[in-house]
Amino acid sequence: MELEKFERNNWGSCRLSSLVPPLCRNQHCCLGIDEAGRGPVLGPMVYGICFCPLSNKQDLEELKVADSKTLSEAERERLFEKLDSLKEYLGWALQILSPNVISTSMQQRVKYNLNALSHDTAIALIQYALDSGVQLREVFVDTVGPAEKYQEKLKQRFPELEITVKPKADSLFPIVSAASICAKVARDRAVKSWKFLEDLGDVNLDYGSGYPNDPKTKEWLARNLDPVFGYPQFVRFSWSTAQTIVDSRAVPVRWDDCDGDEKSSSKGSQSMLSFFARKKDDTKHQPHRFFQERKLETVKDL
Amino acid sequence: MSRKPCEAAARPDQWVLIARDSLLDLPKKPGDGALFTRLRNPSTGEGALFLFSSCAQQLFEIKVFKEDYHSWFVGQTVQHDGRLFFATPMDALFLILYYLIKAEKEQGKFQPVDQVVVDEAFPSSCILLQCTRAMQSLHHVTEEKEIGSKKFYKYNKEKTLKWLKKKVVQTVKALKSNNICVGGSVHSATFIRSKQMLDVTEEDYTRYAHGLISEYVPEELSADLLKYLELPELSSPAAQPPVKKRKVSDVLVEAEEDYTKFNSTDLKKKKPSNKMTAAQKSLAKVDKSGMKNISSFFSPKSVSKK
Amino acid sequence: MMCENQPGALIKMDLGSLTQTAHDPIHLLPCEIQYDGHAAVDKYFTPTICQGVSAKEVSFRGRPLKGQEIKIPAGYIGLVVEENHRPCSEEEGRTVCMKSTFLSFTQWNLETLPSADDCAMMSLMWPKISEAIHRPVDSEE
Repeated sequence: MELEKFERNNWGSCRLSSLVPPLCRNQHCCLGIDEAGRGPVLGPMVYGICFCPLSNKQDLEELKVADSKTLSEAERERLFEKLDSLKEYLGWALQILSPNVISTSMQQRVKYNLNALSHDTAIALIQYALDSGVQLREVFVDTVGPAEKYQEKLKQRFPELEITVKPKADSLFPIVSAASICAKVARDRAVKSWKFLEDLGDVNLDYGSGYPNDPKTKEWLARNLDPVFGYPQFVRFSWSTAQTIVDSRAVPVRWDDCDGDEKSSSKGSQSMLSFFARKKDDTKHQPHRFFQERKLETVKDL
Repeated sequence: MSRKPCEAAARPDQWVLIARDSLLDLPKKPGDGALFTRLRNPSTGEGALFLFSSCAQQLFEIKVFKEDYHSWFVGQTVQHDGRLFFATPMDALFLILYYLIKAEKEQGKFQPVDQVVVDEAFPSSCILLQCTRAMQSLHHVTEEKEIGSKKFYKYNKEKTLKWLKKKVVQTVKALKSNNICVGGSVHSATFIRSKQMLDVTEEDYTRYAHGLISEYVPEELSADLLKYLELPELSSPAAQPPVKKRKVSDVLVEAEEDYTKFNSTDLKKKKPSNKMTAAQKSLAKVDKSGMKNISSFFSPKSVSKK
Repeated sequence: MMCENQPGALIKMDLGSLTQTAHDPIHLLPCEIQYDGHAAVDKYFTPTICQGVSAKEVSFRGRPLKGQEIKIPAGYIGLVVEENHRPCSEEEGRTVCMKSTFLSFTQWNLETLPSADDCAMMSLMWPKISEAIHRPVDSEE
């Protein structure tokens, strides 16, 4: 796993992948999808796919890959190396979404919610496998949001594939467990080796698991708040944990699309009234449109 | 930074300004500097902020770019006030002219100019008399008489109109060479350039320049200048087409609504131009051009670290 | 009529302070930061600016910004002017001095690519048009 590729662009999104085993291009294959790092307020979220010929399903069972969450970090690392060595029939690919991509997507003017982001990422990874010539037949997905809706969405997008979306798919289907291990290992490594783009000097890195309910994470967030900038890009600003601290303790920042803005509630009726009201003042001096169009005004004082 | 109690109110104490570099010509006397002061705006008759360079060599007009939702980073500080000030050289004769016209109406006789430019409400007005260049150009707007060593002036409308017409002509040239959109109400610097060539008339330019010059002269003179330029007076208030700051991307959205005429400056001024109405929001949702296309996450991001 | 005959109506600008002023990097942000004072711009902001395909990119408070460098018009200079001490009484004259100068600044938009249609960009046309309005007329014409 060449994580350096992500480290060079840890404000964006990055795909890492194994070589595609030639067998996968000739035989009908299954593919599993899982994600890691959805919950934490820190670090990237990683999507993983693993794929292999249907005929090799049994080999995977024998590897005893299980849900990555039930394994220790060391076991996951060992299993990933094992999976990565099965180059003749097993392929994997990862999409790492940096916390900055998550923050900025979720906080766009037209909000892009995390489920949509997850679904689109999964779809793109399936498409990647297809584009690489993998003879996909079966796809197993650990659900994000309601399983049925998600399955419907995927089926519409890939009508030729047999798609199974299930909660806890990572403990039911070895190919999903394998994907889960790849994703979790990448997430752990990315967090551990996080290179802050910010020039923070000796930043305290004792931030715990990154989960919002981890006391260490909480303390780290509380102590590392900058009054103007909030946090480094390592933090997902779109998480309520981070947002609450920023809203209550950092300098207030107003954007032209902030909802709940005191002005916006009555805006509709107000602007209509002011349109009619202003008619009367029209005799009063209006600056030339050159100035109005450029938002140039005169002032009386500094 | 320690603040006195009287400064508790959040007043700006730092400004971002773009100024003609001649403003910085060093003062002739030590301790002398440039001076911000209030003078009477000759068009509105109200006070406005101006700036004299040191020794009042040059008068500068102060304009402010002010749009909601801006702040500055200046070095390692944040400045809440996101306005951008402009200090541009100003022809001080416009300000003196206001008083010459007033004197003509009130006394109607030849007078020394220092008796004309007297304004109790704006005592700094007398500094205008130190603007050498303006003093040398009084002949553009007055008749002069010299008695002994003293000069006496009387406002002359014909000369003034001739002078203003020259101003209009040189302004038209600048509007053209800078591709300023003087025609239709839709404007986009990128879009209008080709359109402008097609349907903008010489009259549009002259009228626009007249409008700009009118910002510096009393209303009555502005009306006289309009006649002098042989521009027909427009009866409707459409003399100035409604200002519509439309971005190209907005056009489609606005076209969906049939009350577009309300969608002009007044409304736009009340709300930030990018703020979407509920209707626009739902439209924007259909057209997801504003959304980050998922493929952009996967295409090799051609981004390089600075 | 309001009487403005008060020393407060005059604000002196100390040009002597110009010689010691440094260039400061300047950014115009698409949001209102309700604070005046220190900001760790070089820690959090500057190192995270990257050059995208069509614009500079950065994020602020987890929101995506796109920016462009805007040059101050020729013959003009950018000045940051400050008032170190605001007098308590109206009788005391006000003085502002130069804090720093700049020849360009970065204009940031929320999400949208900066363009010539942005008001900030359009406002920079003012010096050129103003020059035509206020330049002395050619006498011989």
